[in-house]
Amino acid sequence: MLWIKNGVVVDPKNRINAEKMDLFVKDGKIVEESKVKKGDCKVIDASGKLVVAGGIDMHAHIAGGKINTGRVMRPEEMRVVRNIAGKFRATVGRVLLTAPAIGYEYAKMGYTMSFEAATPPITSPHTHEELDAIPIIDKGALPVFGNWHLVFKCIEEKNLEKLKSLIAWTIERSKGFGVKIVNPGGVEAWMYGGNVKGLDEQVPGFAVTPREIITWLMRANEELNLPHSIHLHCNNLGIPGNYQTTIESIKLANGLKNEKRQILHVTHVQFNSYAGNSWRDVASGAAEIAKIVNSMDNVTIDMGQAIFGHATAMTGDAPFQFTLHKLIGARWSNKDTEVETGAGIVPIGYLPSNPVHTLQWAIGLELGLLIESDKVVLTTDYPNGGPFTEYPYVMAMLMSKKMREGELKRVHQYVQKATTLPSIETEKTLYEVIHMTRSLPARVMGLDKKGHLGIGADADIAIYDLNPLTTDFSNEFDRVYKAFKVSEFTIKDGDVVAKKGELVKEVFGKTFWVDASKKVDVEAVIPDVKSYFDFYTVQFSNYGVDERWLKKSKRIEVI
Amino acid sequence: MLIIKPKKYFEVCVEAEITPDLALKKVEEVKKFKVFYGNKIVELGELFEISKEGEDKKIVLGGDFSRVKWVGTRMVDGEILVKGSIGTNCGAFMRGGRIIIEKDADDWLGTEMAGGEIIVKGNAKNLVGCAYYGDAVGMSAGKILIEGNAGNYVGDKMSGGEIIIKGNAGDFIGMEMRGGVIEIHGSCGFVGGDMRGGEIRIKGSFEVLPTFKKTEKGWVGDVNVKGEGVVKNF
Ligand SMILES: [Zn+2]
Repeated sequence: MLWIKNGVVVDPKNRINAEKMDLFVKDGKIVEESKVKKGDCKVIDASGKLVVAGGIDMHAHIAGGKINTGRVMRPEEMRVVRNIAGKFRATVGRVLLTAPAIGYEYAKMGYTMSFEAATPPITSPHTHEELDAIPIIDKGALPVFGNWHLVFKCIEEKNLEKLKSLIAWTIERSKGFGVKIVNPGGVEAWMYGGNVKGLDEQVPGFAVTPREIITWLMRANEELNLPHSIHLHCNNLGIPGNYQTTIESIKLANGLKNEKRQILHVTHVQFNSYAGNSWRDVASGAAEIAKIVNSMDNVTIDMGQAIFGHATAMTGDAPFQFTLHKLIGARWSNKDTEVETGAGIVPIGYLPSNPVHTLQWAIGLELGLLIESDKVVLTTDYPNGGPFTEYPYVMAMLMSKKMREGELKRVHQYVQKATTLPSIETEKTLYEVIHMTRSLPARVMGLDKKGHLGIGADADIAIYDLNPLTTDFSNEFDRVYKAFKVSEFTIKDGDVVAKKGELVKEVFGKTFWVDASKKVDVEAVIPDVKSYFDFYTVQFSNYGVDERWLKKSKRIEVI
Repeated sequence: MLIIKPKKYFEVCVEAEITPDLALKKVEEVKKFKVFYGNKIVELGELFEISKEGEDKKIVLGGDFSRVKWVGTRMVDGEILVKGSIGTNCGAFMRGGRIIIEKDADDWLGTEMAGGEIIVKGNAKNLVGCAYYGDAVGMSAGKILIEGNAGNYVGDKMSGGEIIIKGNAGDFIGMEMRGGVIEIHGSCGFVGGDMRGGEIRIKGSFEVLPTFKKTEKGWVGDVNVKGEGVVKNF
């Protein structure tokens, strides 16, 4: 039992804004004062300190084929020693971290959950092996559907029931959490060296278009009523002028409604907000994107903020990765994942002296500032935009115009004319930023016990050395940044796991997955699925992951 | 001058980042210098006899050092004289001073070195003056002289400095080279793959890739990467 005394609590879901109060924890949950015996409680004195829910990273690449290939092709990333084996495991990595390092670094920063944002269903055994090697935090994984021959077949047949069965069967088999779509149709076109350029271009070899792929998956996802909406990485990522494709894709959510959450989540939008016709006249389209997102009540996005320094581009968007490799001349790895999807990996670095990199940095911030705080989640699309360990930098930047002015002086001045960042006066409040990193991602993912500190919530708590009542967030940005870098205490399911940036205890978080197989007739799709095993390298009986293989399974049943 | 001799045959390799800076310290202090013996951290004095003659910034390594790695790593001045053979990664990242090896050198000699001089009286193995895997640039300045033969991957990603080999060398010489000179007095195998700049001079025979153009300067390429490196006989 825990008694967190006198902390200053910010808990946007429960409309608590910097109130001095006590929290009580029992059996890994937040409970009422009357439920604990105070004498038996371990007391944490949080006087003058900020108490919030543990952070949630709803989109990162933390496990599976892509990050692992990144590790293999970037031995130079593995030369930074973070922890020598002892009480805790040995960890290395500069930005590309080893599995235990991922858990440790999130925990030290006060984050307690992270989602692997793209796993091909066929490689889900690998993804879960790696997720099971990440200590402390809770995890989940999103299987990809946007380029799978079986999905195309259901859409060609205009058979929504079959598509629903396929989704339910797949997320159960892969122990996945929701429906991820990466460059719908484009990755299939890449199998022939091409891409799709717009929502209405036909996918080679199939009578489907990206527009149909998105809308059919969206409808199926809504009829299944999964906790999370479809999670879309738009077409034309990383291409000047792509903001229009993004706007068109966002409009596809028109007319659909869900009581609890958005209909469409568009991810790492920074990479999809470019105006202009080429890299020579590229500019920000963030203001236009912000306008449409703000005008709709059923769409959310995450930033995909670029951080100056090292990064590694890794996406299921294989044609984009090839374009990037050609553009910057860095190493490239390509993946062809059977009939399901593909991927690519390219090392990159963001330099403040490079006009395009600076533009990307500015666009992420524009999105974070111009979009209503209830619709934009803070991410770097780790490790695409940079390390998650720099989230505190983004948080501090959103809250301080003065910090942004300082940063704008040291970067390439191309951003002055190509973006609106220099003229943005907005300073997000602490309450808003805590929402963008906790309660909002929890709602977007459909997790009602996460991201808040109400009675019954999971006791995932972060305490920071920062008093919201006495801090001037506009001017004391340096202190704010440092305070969020390492928590005073990180508490996972009621256990203190990190203290002032030092690990205290290793626990293992749960793997959250969704089971909607009771909602549909899963058998209806099995003959079709089986027919594809003529093309797979594995047999039907060896496909997917059994629940008993997971270290700590958390099944969420959809009924 | 500091004299260091192994006390015994090493069952596993020793990783000892010995630089001439040690020669300025007292023997008792030098004995406490930490090295890895396999996966254990031990003191230099446990594995080696250490004595001192005079105060010059010089180290003499007597006996067999072929299982001792990382000697001369990051050294900036002074001299190391190796009386026998030396283990891997000798002179990695060195910026100045001199290393003389009287017998042979193992792999990764002078990796990413940025100054100074290495002289090998015997043979050197693979990856002389190259870049560590994943890094973009190999040797950038300084000089490596090998009086015997060298192995494969000499001067990989090299951007400056000079490597001279009096004997023969293996395959993949000057791959992805950007600058500097490799001079081979004997013969070698394939040269210059993805070479962007610099010069490779060879006295004996060698194999040039089809992606090099014959000009009056010699073979110029690698055309695949729009390179302007030169490969020629001398
Ligand atoms: Zn991503």
